[in-house]
Amino acid sequence: MELKKLLQHWNSFPEISMEERPILSSDLEKIVVKNPLSDAFYLRKKLLLRIGIIAALWLINTWQLRGEWRTDGSELHMNITLFGLLAFSLYYHLRILFFADYPTLLALPLVNFLGKLEVILDKFIWSFKFISAIAGFYLLFLVEGVLSRLNAGAYDSLTHNDWYKGLIVIFLAISIDILLLHTFIPKYRKLLATVKKYREGILAKAQNK
Amino acid sequence: MNNSSNRSGCEPDLRSMLKNQHKKVYSICRFFAHNYQEHQRLFINIIAAASQNIRSRKDNSNDKQTMLLRACINMAALHSISLELESAHDATIQFKSPDYQRSMSSFRESVRGISDLEKFRLFLELENIPADEIPSFTGLVHATAAGRKQRREAPAPAKNFIPYLKEKLIWS
Repeated sequence: MELKKLLQHWNSFPEISMEERPILSSDLEKIVVKNPLSDAFYLRKKLLLRIGIIAALWLINTWQLRGEWRTDGSELHMNITLFGLLAFSLYYHLRILFFADYPTLLALPLVNFLGKLEVILDKFIWSFKFISAIAGFYLLFLVEGVLSRLNAGAYDSLTHNDWYKGLIVIFLAISIDILLLHTFIPKYRKLLATVKKYREGILAKAQNK
Repeated sequence: MNNSSNRSGCEPDLRSMLKNQHKKVYSICRFFAHNYQEHQRLFINIIAAASQNIRSRKDNSNDKQTMLLRACINMAALHSISLELESAHDATIQFKSPDYQRSMSSFRESVRGISDLEKFRLFLELENIPADEIPSFTGLVHATAAGRKQRREAPAPAKNFIPYLKEKLIWS
């Protein structure tokens, strides 16, 4: 009875006024090429940018590693580690991009769509760990570059000790990770928590029925 | 999104389909928009999502209807999530047209307190979608007696020895 009443009300609903109605005809061309997902829901551009940067760094690192390998240089171990890290980061980001499959994402049923969105956000938050680790390595190279100009003795003792370099990389990576945890990551964490809460709310309602 | 393949415009059949079906988009906006800015934003996002869904699948017209309705539901859900994220959101109904304002106020009063899932179900019901097709939009499987019985009789899943690794390696 209630639904019948609602249906009557629904069918007699007035049209939205012309001044408030979105212009359909002339702007349809623009609307259909617009990206419906925005900001943190749409990570494709960010992922592509990261993939481009990591791929470029990986190529440069491969070239440097080749040189170190031939001359048995002091940075060989660090370069091998960085090579592995960059390769895995590249794979991880490509995997998120292919998994997200943005053109078909919105065609999924609601619960599957929200579930996939959660996984994408969760994996994207994890990807900041790789960014921190990579930044740790490059900051170490920066420290070495600065030391070589300021203090040749300190540079010489640092560059020949892999343990010191390893500890400095860990310290720098953790520092950057903490910095990211308090700057960029909270926005994504909040969004992830909201999407999760929304999906769980829907599942709970469905189970109570 | 990946729309670069057809930046100059949309295909004629997609355009005519969206023009014919745009009242469905107005319908879902009745449930979720509070003012005309929200209404316009949601409308545009749904049309964009629907065109993207339809382009990604070159199937029959029945499938296009499904893609449009899925776009309506998914974008409305994202709209709700976005509003939840906004700390100071004004939930009062504000439309310029007095008739529309009156109808919206009384309609929203009659559906007040119902969850978003119920709103989606109601929307699909008002769009004459058969009840057995609703799970293909919501992704929720019917908890029918037959379904429950089938689940009880189904063999127990194989023991998962490495749940942590499985969770890390398989994204689903």
